[in-house]
Amino acid sequence: MTLTRRSALTAALALPVLGLPGLALAKTAPDFAVKDADGKVRTLSEFKGRIVVLEWLNRACPYTQKHYHGNMQGLQVSATRDGAVWLSVCSSGSWQPGHWSSGAGAKGWMKKYGSAATAMLLDEDGVMGRAYGARTTPHMFVIDPAGQLAYQGAIDDVPTSKVEDIGRAKNLVAAALADLHAGRPVRTPYSQAYGCAVKYG
Amino acid sequence: MRLLLAVLALLFAAPAFAAEVDTGHLKIELVAQDASVAPGTTAYVALRQDIDAGWHTYWRNPGDSGEPPKLTWTLPAGWTAGEFVWATPKTLPFGPLTNYGYSGEVILPVPIAVPANARPGPVTLEAVVDVLVCEKICIPETGKVSVTLTVADGAPKPDARWGASVAAALAAAPKPAGLTATFENGKTLTLAVAGAPLKGADMSGAWFFPFQGVWIDHAKAQTAERGSDGLTLTLTPGYAFESGKPPAVMDGVLVVGDKAYEISATPGPAPAGVSGLGPPPGAKGEGTGAAPKTGLLIAALTAFLGGLILNLMPCVFPVLSMKAASLARHAHETRAARRQGLAYGAGVVATFLILAGVLIGLQLAGQQVGWGFQLQSPPVVGVLGLLMLAVALNMSGVFEIGTSVQGVGSGLAAKGGLSGAFFTGVLAVVVASPCTAPFMAGALGFTIGQPPIVVLAVFLALSLGFAAPFVALAFAPGLLRRLPKPGAWMDTLRKVLAFPMYGAAAWLLWVLSQQTDAAGLAVALMGLLTGAFALWLWGLGPKAWRQGLALLLLAGAVALVLQPDSAAPRTGESAASAVLPSEAWSEERVAALRAEGKVVFVNFTAAWCVSCQVNDKVALSTDEVAKALTAANGVYLKADWTNRNPEIAAALAEHGRAGVPLYLVYGPASETPQVLPQLLTPGMVAGALKKAAGT
Repeated sequence: MTLTRRSALTAALALPVLGLPGLALAKTAPDFAVKDADGKVRTLSEFKGRIVVLEWLNRACPYTQKHYHGNMQGLQVSATRDGAVWLSVCSSGSWQPGHWSSGAGAKGWMKKYGSAATAMLLDEDGVMGRAYGARTTPHMFVIDPAGQLAYQGAIDDVPTSKVEDIGRAKNLVAAALADLHAGRPVRTPYSQAYGCAVKYG
Repeated sequence: MRLLLAVLALLFAAPAFAAEVDTGHLKIELVAQDASVAPGTTAYVALRQDIDAGWHTYWRNPGDSGEPPKLTWTLPAGWTAGEFVWATPKTLPFGPLTNYGYSGEVILPVPIAVPANARPGPVTLEAVVDVLVCEKICIPETGKVSVTLTVADGAPKPDARWGASVAAALAAAPKPAGLTATFENGKTLTLAVAGAPLKGADMSGAWFFPFQGVWIDHAKAQTAERGSDGLTLTLTPGYAFESGKPPAVMDGVLVVGDKAYEISATPGPAPAGVSGLGPPPGAKGEGTGAAPKTGLLIAALTAFLGGLILNLMPCVFPVLSMKAASLARHAHETRAARRQGLAYGAGVVATFLILAGVLIGLQLAGQQVGWGFQLQSPPVVGVLGLLMLAVALNMSGVFEIGTSVQGVGSGLAAKGGLSGAFFTGVLAVVVASPCTAPFMAGALGFTIGQPPIVVLAVFLALSLGFAAPFVALAFAPGLLRRLPKPGAWMDTLRKVLAFPMYGAAAWLLWVLSQQTDAAGLAVALMGLLTGAFALWLWGLGPKAWRQGLALLLLAGAVALVLQPDSAAPRTGESAASAVLPSEAWSEERVAALRAEGKVVFVNFTAAWCVSCQVNDKVALSTDEVAKALTAANGVYLKADWTNRNPEIAAALAEHGRAGVPLYLVYGPASETPQVLPQLLTPGMVAGALKKAAGT
């Protein structure tokens, strides 16, 4: 079990109130405590005061693969360079596609693909995924320095699995980050996420 | 994929007919309603999908994930294509998510405007189709499809093959039917629909499929309330409502009974006659409980079959020899034989259920284990080896347990025989675990990620299947009576049958040698030697000091065979066949080789998996396969699961398997591998390699 009792409780309390798609209204991003690929427990509160990007990922999903031809890594580099924290989250249950049974496997994959994420969270039991209502891979969330949910949805506005479509797409995460840095409200706070279903166990 | 497209482009360069594209998990083709069409009219061609069992594609609103199919047309000048006429979708629940889509065969017509100045003669309509097909995993497929029509004046002539199907799809597609629909978002989101078609209609399974994904929460239940003129559905609002910008129109498809209508709901109070008559009789969301139950039933049936066939697998032979020896002894007493059979069955069932329990426990604890998992532990293999040796020595007459075996018929001996039969059942299961039988793999794969009760049910079915033949035999006095009368031959038979047991012990030691090193094997051999001596000592007769010493030595023997765990487990290559050079498997290696355009043959195997070893010898080590591999420009990868390996367990699970063997053949041109059966022949492997290479 990768969540602490306190945060699991928070999530359990938050869920009925928020409902799954209702996070944007409720604004506050649920806290979590999930082990990363190094076995270290990461929480949302440890990044208080910083922008946090959450990226749901499944290495077996063609839509995740589409963006790992450089698009996602580029976004990770620019976001973290600008001071944001980037957390990739794998919510695949054991026995489900894309699941990593060891942190070493996840780290090997990150190294191979040149992931510039701050950490890879292994949300094996899906508690964090369900608390955020993560439905697809990729499904993106941007949390502002005050811990409010500033953006949730797709990475861009062309919902296909083809790499060549990235060029003509508007990157909604980059746009949200730019809005936050400029101190203005995020113009597109929500979009419908596209991709493979998150493979909850 | 590029190669596939090139091949497809070649295939379709000559526009003459409609041909289907097989993308691995579905077949797609363009079919026509009318073979001949008139200028200035609207013709319908349709994208026909023939989706493999268990897989699905998506509706216009795919729900929580997924992507609808897309056609990108290449049409002659003046011709234009419209949007899909979408067939009624189904809900596809997946964990906490729900998608909307199709399974089986689906026909999606597209209106084609034939220009008024179209010249008479054949015309080919081409399109690139992009379709996402998913099971547990999702695969985007791309292919070029085309259909050739003839432009001719006069009434259209229906296409002989597909005309009726396309016409039926057009007729069945949901259409507006003059229904009045409103929605209100107060405490809950309600959708009220009224109109003539709903008067007294069968409203079971009522469901609203919205055209947009942001309006409702797809995964939540939709409860229906009937009225005299319509119905009210209570929905869970989606993001659009919570963002404070509710839609001005909520349109979609309303399914009631076996009918479907397109509706367009506007905000406002409900029309009259949409409530008050309670929920529809027998109301039940489609696929909310029925589907898993059928899945379980099928899994249980296949598990039963798998259990039956497991009796024929090589691992079970040594134990069957024990069983045969005991049956021979009781053949001529109907009651004793029956009791024996039942005790054996009880032993089998109990052991399977214990195995299932351990499996569930380990999986709940997050361990990657599967069928045969216990043999991944060297101490377990060592203890089993000692046990086999003990049984063999017993059958050889080195020692006896309990009262005289010759005293059949006395109550005491019968009792002793019963526990013996139970124990035989236990042993049969334990040694059967390195084998998976046909049908069994699928059933065990089904249990992956299922709740414990389902796992138990499948294991129960498996155990009943496994126990059935012997229990049935014990209840067939006619068959048993054909055996010769008891006598000296029985003792000889028993001694002969000891040798398969020695063989089983030898085999287990070989497995152990694969798992540890020479030192580990030496320690285990010492243990077996000590055990044999202890048993001989015991057999000398009942003297307290001798038996005490024997027990002490036996304990020492067990301690010794438990040792090899400390030896460094060997990884990677083991049990390599001489003929076929192989490399160690990894997901990355498979991807890299496929990127190079190579055919990849993956063998998921383990030293303790007897089916794997048999396949290795019978099929994989043959010249035929070696030649086919070379001809296909293929690479042979081995995923060795002799010791625990979570990556391999995960890969097996991705293919719905809980254990080895699993044989995959990847071709450069297809996204998913061919899965070969669990019992191989050289021709089968060679054929699959050939097919993968596209020759």
